[in-house]
Amino acid sequence: MDPAEVEFLAENQMVSIVPNFNFERIYLISGDIGPFRAGLPVQVPIWMATNLRQRQKCRIIAPDWMDTERLEQVKEEESQSRYFTKMPSEHYMVEGHMLLGVAAEDIPHADEIRTILKDIWDMRMSKLRSSVDAFIKTGGSHAKLDHLTAMEINSIRPLLPHALDELYKLQKVVR
Amino acid sequence: MFRSLSPHYFSIEDIFATQERLPCKFVVPVHRLGFLDPSSESEDIAVGTSIELPFWLAQTLCSQRRNIVTVEIPKIYKEAYREILKADACVVDLHKFGLFFYEFGTYLSRLEHRDSAVIGSVLVQTFKERFRQVMDWAHNSGTDPAIIQRLDSLEKALFREGHQTRAQLDAWLNAGTGLITAAEMVVNHKKRKLAVLDDF
Repeated sequence: MDPAEVEFLAENQMVSIVPNFNFERIYLISGDIGPFRAGLPVQVPIWMATNLRQRQKCRIIAPDWMDTERLEQVKEEESQSRYFTKMPSEHYMVEGHMLLGVAAEDIPHADEIRTILKDIWDMRMSKLRSSVDAFIKTGGSHAKLDHLTAMEINSIRPLLPHALDELYKLQKVVR
Repeated sequence: MFRSLSPHYFSIEDIFATQERLPCKFVVPVHRLGFLDPSSESEDIAVGTSIELPFWLAQTLCSQRRNIVTVEIPKIYKEAYREILKADACVVDLHKFGLFFYEFGTYLSRLEHRDSAVIGSVLVQTFKERFRQVMDWAHNSGTDPAIIQRLDSLEKALFREGHQTRAQLDAWLNAGTGLITAAEMVVNHKKRKLAVLDDF
């Protein structure tokens, strides 16, 4: 799976924006997007938010979890726990990447947030790699990892299942 | 990466793996096949001559019913080399041992030989230990390409996949979105449908 495909799935999440134009309700197949009134916040999917922002038609409001203290707390928990902790959002990396890429001025302390997100990401990736290695070494038949996000799962994707296939083939002969 | 789950007639890796040669000793005299042995002069193969035959030939000849040859295990899978692998699997240059070390090893361990089971378990152990290294190399985008020469073909395929995934992920993290295009199959399907409609 491409990172682009994971990003496509993540773009459907909602985010708050403040438009600077007026427009009536939009009826899409997956749901309605409420009437746009200049100056009043409205919830839209991220793909629409980034598009409007690029055309200078709105201002993006940072999601609740995109706050330095909150993220520092999450980072602390992550570094202390041996397993994966629950992330504030299913697609935190994609949302961070997109929103910070498009609307860095709208989000307070954008650079700090970027660094903290990168730290959390690196920590989780290294935890993932060591748990994959432990899994293969002990030759377990199944493993359960909670609170992994789609992007992280995607990074290990063709490698781990294929390696397990090969291991299975080698083990089948020993029996 | 499609690799066969069991001996598959058309799998290229299987064909390569069964191509590897085994030393075999003839138990019965075989007439008029003397040309198989480059060092012999006679027209027949006498009892007790040892010739290197490819695995696919040796496997059919050594089965219990026919018993024309007895096979010996090639030296790579023998005791001495197994000890080297048990000592430290990660440092070994598996490419030098044999390009299809794992595949050929599984075929060997299916033959009825007293060392078969041991070979099988050594292979499993080696794979488990070397996997960490392969994964580390694949996930580190600055890997020296010369270093992957020391990998067996199976590990190389895994490495290539991991490396490509990593490159895609890094490209996304640095440069932003990629382009998702419609699958070829869907595009062709649509075109054909339109052509059919045009006929009417």
